[in-house]
Amino acid sequence: MLQVCTDFRLSMKPFDIVIVGGGGAGLYAAMEAMKTNPGLNVAVISKIYPNRSHTSAAQGGANAALANKAKDDTVEMHIFDTIKGSDYLADQDAVEVLCSEAPKIIRELDNMGTPWSRLDDKTIAQRPFGGAGRPRCCYCADKTGHTILQTLYEQCLRKGVFFFNEYFAIDLSVEGSRSRGLIAMNIKTGKIEAFPAKTVIFATGGYSKMYWNRSSNAAGNTGDGQAIAYRAGIPLKDMEFVQFHPTGLRKSGLLVTEGARGEGGYLVNALGERFMARYAPEKMELGPRDLVSRSLETEILEGRGLDSPAGKYLLLDLRHLGADIIKSRLPQIREMCMYFEGVDPIDEPVPVRPTAHYSMGGIDTDNYGRTIMEGVYAAGECGCVSVHGANRLGGNSLLDILVFGRIAGRAAAEESGKFNPSAIPESEVTRIEHDLRGFMQPKGHYERYGALREELGQTLGLNVGIFREASKIRKGIEDIESLTERFSHVRVFDTGDIYNTNLLQALELKNMLDLAATVAAGALAREESRGSHTRNDFPVRDDKKWHKHTIYTYEEGHPRIGFKPVTMGRYELQERTY
Amino acid sequence: MSDTTIQHHVESRDVTFRVHRFNPQVDSKPYFDDYTIKLEKGITVLRALNYIKEHVDSTVTFRAFCQAGICGSCAMRINGISKLACTTQVWDELDRSRETGIIRIEPLRNLPLIKDLVVEMDPLVGKMKKHSNWVDSRMPEDEWGKKEFLISEKEFLTYDKATDCILCASCVSECTILRAHQEYVSPAVLLKSYRMNVDSRDGIHDQRLAGLVKDHGVWDCTHCYRCQETCVKHIPIMDAIHGIREDAIERRGTKDTSGARHAEAFMDDIAKKGKLVEATLPIRTNGIAWTVKNLLPMAFKMVLKRRTPPPPPLVKASKGIDALRKEFREMTGHVTKDHQKKSGE
Ligand SMILES: Cc1cc2nc3c(=O)[nH]c(=O)nc-3n(C[C@H](O)[C@H](O)[C@H](O)COP(=O)(O)OP(=O)(O)OC[C@H]3O[C@@H](n4cnc5c(N)ncnc54)[C@H](O)[C@@H]3O)c2cc1C
Ligand code: SF4
Ligand code: SF4
Ligand code: FES
Repeated sequence: MLQVCTDFRLSMKPFDIVIVGGGGAGLYAAMEAMKTNPGLNVAVISKIYPNRSHTSAAQGGANAALANKAKDDTVEMHIFDTIKGSDYLADQDAVEVLCSEAPKIIRELDNMGTPWSRLDDKTIAQRPFGGAGRPRCCYCADKTGHTILQTLYEQCLRKGVFFFNEYFAIDLSVEGSRSRGLIAMNIKTGKIEAFPAKTVIFATGGYSKMYWNRSSNAAGNTGDGQAIAYRAGIPLKDMEFVQFHPTGLRKSGLLVTEGARGEGGYLVNALGERFMARYAPEKMELGPRDLVSRSLETEILEGRGLDSPAGKYLLLDLRHLGADIIKSRLPQIREMCMYFEGVDPIDEPVPVRPTAHYSMGGIDTDNYGRTIMEGVYAAGECGCVSVHGANRLGGNSLLDILVFGRIAGRAAAEESGKFNPSAIPESEVTRIEHDLRGFMQPKGHYERYGALREELGQTLGLNVGIFREASKIRKGIEDIESLTERFSHVRVFDTGDIYNTNLLQALELKNMLDLAATVAAGALAREESRGSHTRNDFPVRDDKKWHKHTIYTYEEGHPRIGFKPVTMGRYELQERTY
Repeated sequence: MSDTTIQHHVESRDVTFRVHRFNPQVDSKPYFDDYTIKLEKGITVLRALNYIKEHVDSTVTFRAFCQAGICGSCAMRINGISKLACTTQVWDELDRSRETGIIRIEPLRNLPLIKDLVVEMDPLVGKMKKHSNWVDSRMPEDEWGKKEFLISEKEFLTYDKATDCILCASCVSECTILRAHQEYVSPAVLLKSYRMNVDSRDGIHDQRLAGLVKDHGVWDCTHCYRCQETCVKHIPIMDAIHGIREDAIERRGTKDTSGARHAEAFMDDIAKKGKLVEATLPIRTNGIAWTVKNLLPMAFKMVLKRRTPPPPPLVKASKGIDALRKEFREMTGHVTKDHQKKSGE
């Protein structure tokens, strides 16, 4: 399978469905497509082995109003919590789909073998989660995403889905308003291969890694699918909304979960003060996530952070809890601090700072995952149906990728027969080969992608991070433009074909740069504060002017901004207070 | 907490990474490159490798993704032991290293090499497929989503630990049998098979079991415990291997392999005579080490399970038997330990 040559694939009968991405969204789509029509030719292309996708990092769980734990929980309540959580920017019809499909999808996962934790009455266990009125988060210990991903991967193997593991998607082949399929690189051989396809589903996950080491995300969450679709003429939506988590580890951005503060941990600045007293005198460290994130950021900005080569940070002090409590109740957190920061929280405070965690924006789709381009769909964190609006609730993202992954898979299976794409011209493959070689040419003046990547993360964190204001965002935009210019001088030193991670990282950086331009442009345009988007110069929500989605189209290398109304339903706009 | 300014003092030193290199496009055989960099205490091996790639030699090739010990990408041999680079502290490895200041980095074993530190994972996926490492649900697909299976927390606990596996292949790399036979099923695949077989939702238990008892299957394991000692998620893999063997004897009798037949002879001996006679041990055919490693732990577990009285002291102590007795005690110690671990979770 590895050695399929380009020419052969070009003239091949198109795949019915090519799914880009093997996370929860992509695998659910693949499985559902095979279930809908077992005769289909379904391929999953993934730059890493699917079971390694970032879905595996989700610990908390997935929301569904099963009413196993709280007997009075209802789908209606889940809908309301989600809409309120989104700061009223979610589309209410989409949220209705999300929440009413939720119990079904969780049971379906159970029926196919997901190891959910159990309650005494043998039903699926549920626990409370932020922003939810009832305990409705279904979980498997602290490895929910991991076990869901394993189950889906296993089921896809059972169903005979074609896997192209370690293939890196580079471009969509487009003819007018239609897609002809996908072009990708076989990482193990370096060959550029065409995947003619009737339908393509993008499920490449989030783009929060553009904040680089200020992100809780895996190294490859670089928004490749969004960038490919965007450059191919498909609009993106609500990109300015990026969720920050208050306590990422200083060096890696990895999460220290809220449990640490729940057990009584203190947040302390360089002066030794428990600074939360200034921002939330009653709740202290246990204030809502966005408030605590903003407080940490303020401390750092006002010079009360500690300094290190890895950047400014604050301290999460657990020492007063004592060795016994730390060992018995926070063993995982202790392990993480030791593994990744080299600090044992029993003896030393843990260096932390806010970290970019989740991207609400993505490829603009309808409730079936369809984009404006014929035959192209998107699902998961990569897409934006808009169920999270300006802020997503914990436990709603796993749900999103499952529900809309399945819907997109079914839609593509049912609709693929309608499409009859023309062949991908060989010239497109050779053009990409040529472009990639270009990176390896010796250049008089050259740039290293590693440095650019760090600078991108830095300027985003500083200028388009938790607190935003016009002058800073403009600085961010300038930086992104200059980094984009410098990117054209990037030289890749590894000139080999086999497993060239050097080249891949350069391509990922280009994707992040293109998307960063949309995040910054949207942040500047949106003159209000809503959900995760906080403007110092426009501190309140402005429903009159800004109760609408931001839409971005790619025009000569730059984002052009447009808008789209929010679909309302039963719930009127209200102030969001907790 | 005092009100004086907090200083974070960090220790730093020069560390040499001796990295396995091989690019099949240009190299005729593998070699090692040394990279010496100044590092701060608290750095993981993966971060050090990232640093080398970004600042010293961008051609060094390895896999990494989550950087949080959950995706299983970054397994490699560090100072000779397979483990995750992203959860391994450089300072710990400096303590372990035999050569002062040098950390040796090599690719996993028992899987084909692609480049530098990257090995091919497809053989492992192939084995997962071969052994149906999925739940084949008893519920027809068109009924999915309508109602939950009712499952006790007790049942959940029988496979809870096994579902921690992140398919990093560290155990695969350390497996002694795999070194000799690439066709061997692999510890991770046995673990996964066991996890599926104890799941009450699954409907193909017997079929999966039939595959596991074939050549290069569960009876080939030598009980060397390397896999379990290596597992990056501390999963008691041996419990799974014992579990499959017990199950195989229980359901399929002793027809499958010489291993299973010997186990039965041994059990009979204990059960009927209450003692272990040298002549009835399957030592004749396979030698003493083989017998001890293959049969005793499993057989002993069967004793526990069926509440047969524990074996009395071995009769006729001889030189060989002394050694046997010692190993027997160690093995059975292992088994009880695994059991305690499991119930303590
Ligand atoms: C630390 C952490 C904890 C979280 N906890 C929770 C939680 O408790 N509950 C919850 O609901 N959500 C949680 N989330 C969010 C949730 O995990 C993610 O939003 C979700 O898993 C995304 O799934 P996905 O399928 O869209 O993408 P991913 O799982 O990220 O998969 C993306 C796939 O795309 C592939 N891909 C990407 N680019 C390319 C390319 N160029 N070519 C080929 N393939 C490509 C990758 O190989 C991968 O297979 C958490 C997130 C993080 C970071
Ligand atoms: S105990 Fe068995 S499976 Fe584990 S490493 Fe030894 S031979 Fe391999
Ligand atoms: S059993 Fe342990 S060592 Fe083996 S692949 Fe799974 S997690 Fe890795
Ligand atoms: S990078 Fe994911 S386990 Fe190490």
